[in-house]
Amino acid sequence: MGAVKPMPRTTTDSEVVTSEEVLTKRPWNVVVWNDPVTPMSVVVVIFRKIFGYSNNKCTQLMMAVHHEGRAIVWSGARERAESYCVKLQVAGLQATIEHAD
Amino acid sequence: MAGNRLFVRRRDGRIEVRLNDAGRSFVRGVFAQVVTAEREPDHQWHASLHSPIDPSIDADNPLSTLSRQSETTTNAELALVCVDEQFLTNAEAWAWLTSLQVALRSVAVSNGVLSDERLAEINADVRGEIETLQLLLFSLAECL
Repeated sequence: MGAVKPMPRTTTDSEVVTSEEVLTKRPWNVVVWNDPVTPMSVVVVIFRKIFGYSNNKCTQLMMAVHHEGRAIVWSGARERAESYCVKLQVAGLQATIEHAD
Repeated sequence: MAGNRLFVRRRDGRIEVRLNDAGRSFVRGVFAQVVTAEREPDHQWHASLHSPIDPSIDADNPLSTLSRQSETTTNAELALVCVDEQFLTNAEAWAWLTSLQVALRSVAVSNGVLSDERLAEINADVRGEIETLQLLLFSLAECL
């Protein structure tokens, strides 16, 4: 019998990446501000068209703008927040973005 | 302007415009002003069309401001070219709504109407312009 060479042992080094550092990304808010001239029904139509929210949600957001002076209408990544803010401004609403607390 | 309902949604999905010559002349002037205001920095509405996107920084992202400028102008130009149409598609009606709303806000901002108290103090001409724009917007929003 010939000498039996040992099979090369293959090892699988499984690396478990443990990240002790948890990266938290604060979202960006799109804020719509109240003004004394814009009809309420127009605000509802604009929210529905831009965000696709239900009538109920659009009405709730519009009432929040009306009573509290401002309302956060969307939160998420900065690029999308900026894009939504531009769409709201193009539709004639006063909108800004801000970093969430 | 004729009748109570200035815009009516028809069964075929289009929106009928029920404005008389004076009404069409008014909205034509409004749409033209939006186009001009976007292009001319000296126009009294220009500042209201360039409000900050992110007030916490000195200058907004130029791509976003360019996008806003382009979309505002496109809407007003589309509204302008179909101002004499009897029936509007949804896209055309949206262009009318956004351009009228931009104009309403611009009239308010350029006259310092930033609160209910100030709104109560404005002169009759500005009040008339604001109320006419609101009337148009109320009626159009009902169809969208």
